[in-house]
Amino acid sequence: MVRDQTLGNRVTDIVLIVILVGITLSCVLPIWYTLSLSLSSNSAAAAGQVWLWPVDFNLNAYGQILNDSQFFRSFWISTQRVLLGVSLNFIIVALMSYPLSRTAAQFKGRNVFMWILIFTMLFNGGLIPLYLTVKELDLLNSIWALVLVGGAQTLVFNIILTMNFFRNLPKELDEAALVDGAGPWYTLFKIYIPLAVPVLATVSLFSIVYHWNEFLYGLVFMTREQFYPLQTYIQQLVVSVDPSTMSEDQYRRLAELSNRTLDAAKIFIAMLPVLIVYPFLQRFFIHGITLGSVKE
Amino acid sequence: MKKKSSLLALVLACSVVMGACSNAGNNTPPDQTGTPDNNTSANTEPADPFGRYEEAVTINVGIDVDPTDNELPAGDTPMDNQYTRQIKEALNVDVNHHFAASGQNYRQRISLAIASNDLPDAMVVNAVELRQMVEADQLADLTEVYERYASPEIREIIESTNGAALNAVTFDGKIMGIPGVQANADGYHLMWLRKDWLDKLNLEPPTTMAELETVARAFVEDDPDGNGQRDTIGITGPESGGKLYANFLESKNNLYGFDPIFSAHHSYPGYWLEGEDGNPVYGSILPETREALASLRDLYAKGLIDPEMAVRNKADEPIIAGKSGIFFAPWWMGYGPLTNAVRNNPEANWQAYALPLDESGVFNAHIATPSTDFVVVRKGYEHPEVAMKLSNNLLKQEQENTFDPSKGGPGYYPLRVVHAPSDEIEFTVEATRELLAGNKTAEDYQDAKTYKLLQSDLASIKSIKNEPYDVLDIETWNPEANWGAWTRSYSIMVGGTPLVDTDINEVPSLIYEQTPMMESRWVNLRKIEDETFLRIIMGAAPLETFDTFVEDWKRQGGDQITQEVADALAE
Amino acid sequence: MRMKGFAKHYYLMLVPGFLWLFVFSIIPMFGIVIAFQYFNPGRGITGSDWAGLEHFRYMLLLRDTQEVFINTLVIASMKIVANLIAPLMFALMLNELRLMILRRWIQTIVYLPHFLSWVILGGIVLDLFSYNGPVNQLTALFGVQPKLFFADAQLFPFLVVTTDVWKEFGFGTIIYLAALTGINPALYEAANIDGAGRWRSLWHITLPGIRTTAVLLAVLSLGNVLNAGFDQIFNLYNPLVYSTGDIIDTWVYRTGLLNLQYELATVVGLLKSVIGFLLISVSYYLAYRFVNYRIF
Repeated sequence: MVRDQTLGNRVTDIVLIVILVGITLSCVLPIWYTLSLSLSSNSAAAAGQVWLWPVDFNLNAYGQILNDSQFFRSFWISTQRVLLGVSLNFIIVALMSYPLSRTAAQFKGRNVFMWILIFTMLFNGGLIPLYLTVKELDLLNSIWALVLVGGAQTLVFNIILTMNFFRNLPKELDEAALVDGAGPWYTLFKIYIPLAVPVLATVSLFSIVYHWNEFLYGLVFMTREQFYPLQTYIQQLVVSVDPSTMSEDQYRRLAELSNRTLDAAKIFIAMLPVLIVYPFLQRFFIHGITLGSVKE
Repeated sequence: MKKKSSLLALVLACSVVMGACSNAGNNTPPDQTGTPDNNTSANTEPADPFGRYEEAVTINVGIDVDPTDNELPAGDTPMDNQYTRQIKEALNVDVNHHFAASGQNYRQRISLAIASNDLPDAMVVNAVELRQMVEADQLADLTEVYERYASPEIREIIESTNGAALNAVTFDGKIMGIPGVQANADGYHLMWLRKDWLDKLNLEPPTTMAELETVARAFVEDDPDGNGQRDTIGITGPESGGKLYANFLESKNNLYGFDPIFSAHHSYPGYWLEGEDGNPVYGSILPETREALASLRDLYAKGLIDPEMAVRNKADEPIIAGKSGIFFAPWWMGYGPLTNAVRNNPEANWQAYALPLDESGVFNAHIATPSTDFVVVRKGYEHPEVAMKLSNNLLKQEQENTFDPSKGGPGYYPLRVVHAPSDEIEFTVEATRELLAGNKTAEDYQDAKTYKLLQSDLASIKSIKNEPYDVLDIETWNPEANWGAWTRSYSIMVGGTPLVDTDINEVPSLIYEQTPMMESRWVNLRKIEDETFLRIIMGAAPLETFDTFVEDWKRQGGDQITQEVADALAE
Repeated sequence: MRMKGFAKHYYLMLVPGFLWLFVFSIIPMFGIVIAFQYFNPGRGITGSDWAGLEHFRYMLLLRDTQEVFINTLVIASMKIVANLIAPLMFALMLNELRLMILRRWIQTIVYLPHFLSWVILGGIVLDLFSYNGPVNQLTALFGVQPKLFFADAQLFPFLVVTTDVWKEFGFGTIIYLAALTGINPALYEAANIDGAGRWRSLWHITLPGIRTTAVLLAVLSLGNVLNAGFDQIFNLYNPLVYSTGDIIDTWVYRTGLLNLQYELATVVGLLKSVIGFLLISVSYYLAYRFVNYRIF
């Protein structure tokens, strides 16, 4: 691509680069800030002296985390949750999107099913009936409560995305499959899914991010701290306390536990998995997220 | 009653009907060894408050523990630690956690438990939750349990409140919970002040609002910490989510609020007061409150109150870091930010005063209800007396100093509520003074058993307090000798002295509980109140907003609620 | 024709997903009846007395509920607009950037914030905007008095929108970038030969090329008009900004779960669902009408 290198163009280029790099840096800032906080001394952090560079550099916080078995337990629970949640999401999304991507003529009742899905996406009875359901199924404190309840709420959106992708695949594919005598299962698994890798990678990524970051259900369905997923555990660090019902010694204990550098270190470690995973997935989702590639 | 056959029933199953044995005492299996109480007959016969069960009894509790607290010794867990082992040993009771959470999340768990009727056998609730559960008919009647099983010490403490504690848990003549009793001192909010800053700037403790302004201005402008920067706060304000003042539902332990400033204006927002016509009025809507807000607004506008009040996440951070000169809080601040503040700077001379005074030189203070939390037992639990026994046992062990707080904080004790004599702090101050003056010895206080920490306080005071004994400045203390003892004694002596030495004009609230209508309306009224007052003080809304607020408050249910309060009092 | 026999396979594919949704989404919907009851937890949903529309009437009385509906609408619509425009601008700028390595780096980094939860980002944002924080230090250089950003009710909605855009624009950029790559390069070459400059190419080729994508995104986001972002606001707000910052979801959470007013919370939640459903239906129709595209 050759364009003329006039002065005006160069200036535009430089301005562009400055703006873009500036914005980009702002996106790294929170991670950088958390990191430098976690490497500072607690007193410097509490006094608000730490910004872009650690003050009184030390690794104490990370040393302390090594002794915190609950942190690792929660980390492991979140990991399991993500693995289970993503697999389940992948299977169900693929299975449901295919029949729903048929036209109403090909699959009677398709529209009805679709509207039911939309309905479930928008309506809910609130947390309390959800809690009762989970309790009756004996899933309190079970990882499946997190996987299934959270998964059900993001499922429909992912289906809509994938279904749109399927629907926009060339019609010739279906015809060819039909001529070859392929049944629906064969068509789905051998033709559609391999072609839909970008969109399936995208919805999987959504699912990963969702299950890793969601904290409220952990709080609701897990009755004891040892079952908390990581974000719920972290939310505990920042939750406010009400001293009016506390006794003096409880309060003191709480004050002693307040430790900003340690919190920062935990938060930083909690960010890591997502930071590590997403560069691998991004080459897929760039294609996948285009809403079933809207065609011109 | 309920069909579990269909999937639909799944969700409807919340109508689980509890066993209808409200008269739990009769279902209690013969308990304990060798006590004369192998009952089944008369229900009022006293039983052994500390009796051990022959067969292990299990209790599922909801507990407020901080999940990030990992100070338990290796091998111990929240369900297996010095507390649970002692309970197993002494009572043969196994403690299970139905749920565990902390702070606001604990309240949320209780709310979920109530709403879904998925209750633990027992838990600790606040007054609002107690009322809600009574109305939903979810609680066991503990009248008989209390009559038969309350230990004499607990009974003495509960009954020393002139009926206030029992009143709070009595519905239709039945005792529906075991009230905790906290020391009265928790309800008095004092002015804590950096006396070393005052001395450095040649100032005296401010007694009037005008002097308070002078001192706060000096703290902000005259570089009291001597670092050459204008980086100090005059008066610390509430943190994000904190309260401007204690109210009739949460009447004590309000940290970093402005309670004494309000009461210096004869304003008692959040309290139900007797109006001029003898009818109840709500303190927040009175003209005095408008005045107090105006004066706070003025202080804030002048930069004398922490500009980050109400937004700051932790109000104690500037105090600890030595950047704030004044805050308002109850006596126990050694347990609060001051231990860390003194660790950071051994010269930080925080002293407490019953100030500022009103225009006639009187210190006014709104006072608290002794009971804000309550042990409740689920209707249908077979051994409701276990809850009572656990409370008995806790008080006894505290008196005997059985537990070592360094092996896991007292929060791990199941169903823990505080039981302290109402004058614990004042009594301890006077006893300590007598001891230091050489008038009395520790033996003279042997009989004062309900003051459970008095003996250890008296034993350690001389190791941490240097002469002169009648001066309380920080340089006369020796915290390094024993931080634990210092924290307590410094709190009591510095924070308790103003309570003993000041003639306080005490203002109680006419009621400390919700009325029926408040259940649906109070939250919203509180919200407009909090919001309006904060915005007025911080200059986000003009002072005239107060008048609109009063109108809104009355119209949106305030008037009806006032009437209800009047009716409740007339009964 | 043998396609006919496919229908039963289609049903089979839908079964697991619908079972999942039935248990964790449809069953809990029965909780909606709480909105019409004097809910007594001790007696449960089956045993409570009927209240008719009593709670709806009370809701209309409250200044609060009107306020939260308005706040939700304002914040959500601003977010929708901003989240359409910001990524578009960024994608266009990035598209003009000719340093390919830098471009790829920027692309990778800017979606970073999208992957971090508001539990984590909330604390960081509050720190950055605190009284002594970097933002105030920066404005102080220009002689501006320090300001308590998150205590200012007028400012709060804008801060919410800005931080949300900051978090999400990178991800939104992907969609536009994908659309941009779909434009035939021959068009640019032709324009270049015709002597068209950068701006003219932008105006006459690039923008028309992504018009459909932009319109479709706009229509799709209509369904979000009542989703102002629970996680974000929950982690950023305080009572000072309730008047402009409290939204339906945070209000329902506080009312229902922290203040024990289950009925009122359910009423408002239900109203939100109904309006959301209407809006989705409208956007479905609009997308069909104007872009001739069926969203689902």
